[in-house]
Parts: sequence; structure tokens; C-alpha cells
Amino acid sequence: MDEAIRADELCKTYRVKVRDSGLAGALRALVRPRYRDVRALDRVSFGVAPGEIVAFLGPNGAGKTTALKILAGLLHPTSGRARVAGFEPWQGGPPFKRRIAIVLGNKQQLLWDLPAEETFLLNRAIYDVSMADYRERLDNLIDLLVLGEVIDKPVRQLSLGERMKCELVAALLHRPDILFLDEPTLGLDVAAQDTIRTFLKAYRDRYGATVLLTSHYMADVTALAQRVLIINRGRLLYDGELSALVARHARNKRLHLVLGDGVTAADLERFGDVREFAFPHATLEVAREEAPRVSAALLSAVSVVDLSIQDPPIEEVIRRAFEVGDDGGAAGDQDDAGATRIRDGASAP
Amino acid sequence: MTTLRSWLGRYGALVRTAWLVDIQYRAAIGLWLIWGVLEPLITLGIWWTIAGDGPVQGYERADFARYFFAVIVVNQVTIAWDAYYIDSWIRGGEMNHRLARPIGPIHEAIADNLAYKIRAVAVVTLVWGLVAIAWPAVRIPFEPGRWVLAALATLLAAAIRFLNGYATGLLAFWTTRATALVSLQYGVSMFLSGRIAPLSLLPPAVVSVSSVLWFPWMLAFPVELLTGTITSGRTIANGFAMQIVWTLAWAGLYMLVWRRGIRHYAAVGG
Amino acid sequence: MMRVLRALWRASVAEELQYRANFVASLLGTVFWTGTAILTVAVFFGQTDDLGGWTVWEVVALLGIYTALGGLVEAVIRPGLGSLVSDVRSGGLDLVLARPVEAQIYVSFRRIDIWRFADVVLGLGLTTFALVRLGRAPGIVEAGAFLLALIAAAAVVYAIWVVLMSTAFWFVAVENLAVVFDALYEAARYPVAAYPGALRLLFVYLIPIAWTTTIPAGTLTGRFPPVVALGAIVIACIALFLSRLFWLTALRHYTSAGG
Repeated sequence: MDEAIRADELCKTYRVKVRDSGLAGALRALVRPRYRDVRALDRVSFGVAPGEIVAFLGPNGAGKTTALKILAGLLHPTSGRARVAGFEPWQGGPPFKRRIAIVLGNKQQLLWDLPAEETFLLNRAIYDVSMADYRERLDNLIDLLVLGEVIDKPVRQLSLGERMKCELVAALLHRPDILFLDEPTLGLDVAAQDTIRTFLKAYRDRYGATVLLTSHYMADVTALAQRVLIINRGRLLYDGELSALVARHARNKRLHLVLGDGVTAADLERFGDVREFAFPHATLEVAREEAPRVSAALLSAVSVVDLSIQDPPIEEVIRRAFEVGDDGGAAGDQDDAGATRIRDGASAP
Repeated sequence: MTTLRSWLGRYGALVRTAWLVDIQYRAAIGLWLIWGVLEPLITLGIWWTIAGDGPVQGYERADFARYFFAVIVVNQVTIAWDAYYIDSWIRGGEMNHRLARPIGPIHEAIADNLAYKIRAVAVVTLVWGLVAIAWPAVRIPFEPGRWVLAALATLLAAAIRFLNGYATGLLAFWTTRATALVSLQYGVSMFLSGRIAPLSLLPPAVVSVSSVLWFPWMLAFPVELLTGTITSGRTIANGFAMQIVWTLAWAGLYMLVWRRGIRHYAAVGG
Repeated sequence: MMRVLRALWRASVAEELQYRANFVASLLGTVFWTGTAILTVAVFFGQTDDLGGWTVWEVVALLGIYTALGGLVEAVIRPGLGSLVSDVRSGGLDLVLARPVEAQIYVSFRRIDIWRFADVVLGLGLTTFALVRLGRAPGIVEAGAFLLALIAAAAVVYAIWVVLMSTAFWFVAVENLAVVFDALYEAARYPVAAYPGALRLLFVYLIPIAWTTTIPAGTLTGRFPPVVALGAIVIACIALFLSRLFWLTALRHYTSAGG
């Protein structure tokens, strides 16, 4: 037992005002406003063992951030229970807050006008970290994240990637047991994404921290987390190893092409499934294993200006895996929370 | 005591951070200071004209000059802007990481106030000193004992105004109009605190009502202590008593609104 | 240009209408602050019979003009020029400069806050009320002079805003430049005659802000002869011209410095 994180039947419902567009709609909303209930989370249950890296995967608005905020104690669930690091997050108070750290992708805690180091010093004081510990941890983190001179520059002069790394340093100075990350690689270039993923793995390996992150990038999950929790429209659709899901449902790769003169859709058809064609752009879908071979063949046979190989968007994977409608589930056994659980890669077709 | 040590360390870091940020924004702060000085000066100008025909209920031109210069200084110590930050943090999602910390956001606000006000007061006091060299009207007699009392009263006034502003600002958890409420209180306080005119120039009924509330204790009391208008020991004692009462009252209100506020925030998200 | 502005205004209005509370809040705010201003005047006149020769209702009439002019600023000028600083910092200004529109007009009038026109109505209403109390009914010539003086005042206020915000091209770090206008505009609450020498020097001759309310009020109440309005128009033209020059100089500095 002794789970680091435990969520039981978490539900979160909001009441939102409905707004229409245009002048007439705006006038209507002025006189008679309408509301509707939004189910951000619907009976979500799962557990995370200490030292695990788990990813919440799902399209925008799926409920990932809501779940994260509830576990971090920032939101109170409408119903259901949560237990994190032995505390009920909402009631935890300062002892709880010292055990966790949360990094929210687009909202930063770094002081904008000062060097990142100032924020680190501030956090050191707030979390009561001794100077010796601070120095040691800072040096470690800077090493692992390859930050170097960056911490002396005002934060507003840093690139997005550098800022994100500094955010991580600021969050980890007090050596939290549990790390909540909301879209940590959002908007970063490939190199920065890579560094952060490598770092998180190394950090976990070294200190045994539990990491719960949300993402809508498949790559985050494949690089980091063996275990993935797929959420869509507030429902937990899948809780298990990613490899099984990918092997089954993300079997294809997408080739995005920028074509040279004179290439037509017909020319591409023999290489794979032409999903889109709007000259000079085209998208071709091929089997995962075939992608390298097909790319090479394409480049030599057809005039191609640019080619990139990408995963199909996560929404596609989810849609294919679960034929998503409002029933939210298709393959596998249903547990009491109504979530689909696929064990040991075995699943019904 | 390690708890005391860690809190001192925290405040040290918070004030230092605020101080550094203020340096980055010195031009903008300078402009706010200019407004803080211009507004009372304009009011002084009008009273100066009015008092040209003779003293107004015992207030000569020089008395007005002294009064409003004291207002400028005391005002810089007591201004409360935190409501606007709270509002923008809640709207902009910047409240979340503050709530995730093991200390409440009020400490950041207190440190911010300390960092700004130490500088601002130094500046306006210096200006007052320089003006006093050239213009005898604004001089106040050298009475260190009185000055200490005035400083104490000013600090209490700052506490009242800070807690009042912060508690009102926390209403942003429920409404987008919290800053409007702050503005409203500010407008009322312009009269009842003695910014527009020394309180003795207002209708007595108004002053009686005001004295039961917290308004005069946020400005007029420390100002009149400083200018030497208040002399009776009884009045001074009563003034301090009222200040302490209202400090405690607004502290209590703050805690109430804070607890309710974060509960509400956790229910509806941000 | 008008087509662009009309499209922008339509979007602006549609956006504003969404927030029904905005209108009520706006109006209540103005009513409240005008109320405090009237109360302030009452406090002053509780201790005197005239302010630099101006009687109480003359001062209230001026206050109405102060409110109306202020409403015009909030409705038309601040939404546009007020965001110039943040545009410069964020690089949004470059987007504006890249468009085939005249930059100064675009930046100045791209957004309107329609609710604030209520302030204009309120202010003029107050002035009318004050006139009634004064027992003065302005003749055609006086009314015409007042209108001209008001337009001139609006033009001068606009010119001051242009000059002020143009400095953003040099002082990018100062995000609250608009505060300078607010501080200065305080001086326009009272007639010029009410200020003692030193302040008069600052607010009347150095920065002609106090005239923007005194002259229209004076022509309306008959204190100044109608011909003063013509003088005001001349001053306004000069102000607009100078502010335009200032803007162009600042813009040149911005574009040549690489933004």
C-alpha cells in the first residue's frame, strides 16, 4: 500500500455562463444570461506509487489540469476523496505544501524583472532551506539542467526553454516528495523538451520523487512515463502502460510534406494514405514501421522541399482507441469507477 | 527560536526581493509619487486662496500648508494598493502558485509595502525638509517626543489602511468589482479621513460619525499629531485607543474574509 | 481609414456589451466621483463665498465640463493611446506600423469604451443644472462660443495625451505614463482664478491643462467674451500641430532604433 497519491471517485463540476457571439447575442446575454454545468472531472480514481512517473494524457479541456490542482490542494473536489503524501490536499496546510511542488505551464512563479537566482533565494527563505543545502541542490540542478550562466540574467531576457528550466529549479529547491507538472514542455523547442524529459527521469532516479505530469504531447509520455492516465471530457478512459495503447492504436505515423513543383496527389498515392493535399502541403499516413523506408523512397522519387515525421495527434489516438462519444469507453474490463483498465497488454478488440 | 529565525529570514528575503523589483520600476514609482504629491498640493492651493481673506475657523494659510505637507508624508506611509494586485493575481491565475506555498500571500504584500514605503517616506520627508528651508510656513517645531508619537500613530494608521485594503481586495475571490469597492472606500475616506480638509472644517455631525469609524484614525489623527494641532493628553490617548481597536477589528475581518475566500476559490477554481 | 475604424468600433462595442455589469459599474462610478467632487466644492464653499471670483454654481458648471471632458478621454482617448506603452513593450506596435493605416490616427482611435459616453452626458447635464441655478440662459453666440471652446479643449487634451504617450518611444520602461495625465488633469477641476501664483504658473502657463475647463466654462457663463473661444481654437490648432511633430519625431526614433 502506502501510495504516494490516491484519488477516489473525484468529481468536479463548474457552473459557466453561456455567451453568444455578435452584437445581437451580446445584447441577449445582457438581458437574460444563461448557465450550464460543466463536468470537469467525472468519478476519476487511481493510485500512484512513490517514485512513479505518471502522465495524464488528453486533449485540451479534458480535465487534466483540474485533477492536478485538486491533488495539489488548489481546488476542492465537488465529491470524492484524495490523499497525497499522507495528507488530504485541501486540508494539508504548510506541512503538506512543503512536501509538494507544482509547476503550471503558462503561469510562472519566477520574478520577471530580476535574475532567476533571486527567485531561488526567495524560495530558499520561504521553504526554510539551509544555505548549505541550497548551494548543493542548486549546483546539482544547474548541472542536470545545463543552465550555467542563465541564472544571472533577468528572467524576461530568457528564452522559453531557459525559463522553464529555471521554473523547475525554483520548484525543486526544497526537495519535494511529489512533483506536479502541468504541460511542462508546452511551446518548447525539441532540444529543450529533450533536456527536460531527461532531467525529470534523472531527478526521479536520484531522489525517488513521485512525478505526476499532464501533457497533450505523446512524446512526453513515451520518453518519461511507462504509465499513462488518459482523460477525456472528465472521464478516466485508460490507466496502464502506454506501450500497449500505442502498439494497438497509434500504429501509424504522419508524414508532413512540402512539395516541389509539379507533384500531384496521384504521385503520392502509391506511398501511403493521402490524408490531405493542399499544394504545396500534403499529409501522408503510413504504418509506424514503414515511416523511415517510405520517407527515403519519397525523397528520392518525388520533388520534396521539406519532410517531417510526426505522431498522429493524441485526439486521434484516443478517438481510435475508444470511439469516443459520450459513452467514453469501449475496450477492456470496466472497474467500479467506470474507467477502462487494460492489464498486461491484453484487451478486447 | 528557529521559528522566529526562519520568519526573519523569510521577511528579509521578501523585502529584499521587493526592494530590487522597485529599483527596476523606479521611473513608474516616481510618477506615482508625483501624483501622490500633486493631489494634496492642489487642494492646498485652493485653501490657500480661500484663506487669503482671513483665517478659516482658526486655520491660517501657514496652518493649511503645514497640514497638507503632513498629509503628503503620512499618506505615503499609509497608501494601500494591494487590492489591485490581489485582483489581478486572481484574474490572471497568478494566485495559484502563491497558494501552493507554505506561507500565505499576505507576507509578500507586507514586505512589498515595507520596501516601497521606506524609500517613499525618505524622499518626501527630504523634500519637506528642503521646502521648509525656503518656506517658513511649512515648518513644524522640533519636538522629538511628539514626532515619536506621530510616527507610532502613522504606523498604526498604515496597519489599519493595509488590513482594510487587503480584506476588501480579497473580495476579488467572489466578485470582479473588488477594486471598485476599494475605490468607493477611498472616495469616502477623502472626506472622512481629512484629505480634502482638516476635519474641524467639516460639519460636526459628519465628524462625529467619522470618529466612530476607522477613517480619521487612518490619516487625520497622525497628521494632527505631527502638526501639533492635537495637544490634550486625553485626545491623544483616545486616538491611540481607537487606532488599536480598529487595527484589531480589520485584522479580524481580514482573517474571516481570507478563510472564506480560499474556500470559495477552491470550489470554483481560478 | 474610416472603414477600418468603423470595423474596430463595431468589435469594440460588441465586446463591451458582453459585460452588462460594466455599464452599471461605469455609470455608478462616475456618479459617485462626480458626487464627491460636488461635495468637495460644497466643503470649500462652506468656508467662503467665491473661489477666485467664481461663485459656487459657476464652479459646479466647470465641474460638469470637467466630467464631460473626462468622459471623452475615457471613452475615446485612453482606450487607444493609453495602451501605447504596452504595445511598444510587447512589440504589438510593429504590427500596427506594418499596416497600411496612418499610425497616429489608428493608435489614437482604435478602441472606444462606449459606456463612458454616459459621463459626457452626465457632465453636460450637471453644467446645464448649474446654469439653471445661475439663472443664465446662454444666447446663440454664447452657446456657439462654448461649443467651439469645448472642441478646442478636447483637441488640447488630445494633444497633451499624444505628447505624453509619445515619450513611451523613449521611456519604454515606464508603464504607467497615463498616470501623468491623471495627475495633471486634477488641476482642471477648479477655475484658473482659484489657484495661487505658483500653482497657476505650473498648471496654466507651463502645462495649459487648467484652461481646458476654465475657458469653456467661462464662455458659457458669460465670464469671458465669446471671442476667447476663437483664441482657444487657435491654441488648439497649434497644440495639435506641435503634438503631431512630436509624435513623428518619436516614431522616427523608434523605427530607426530598431524598435
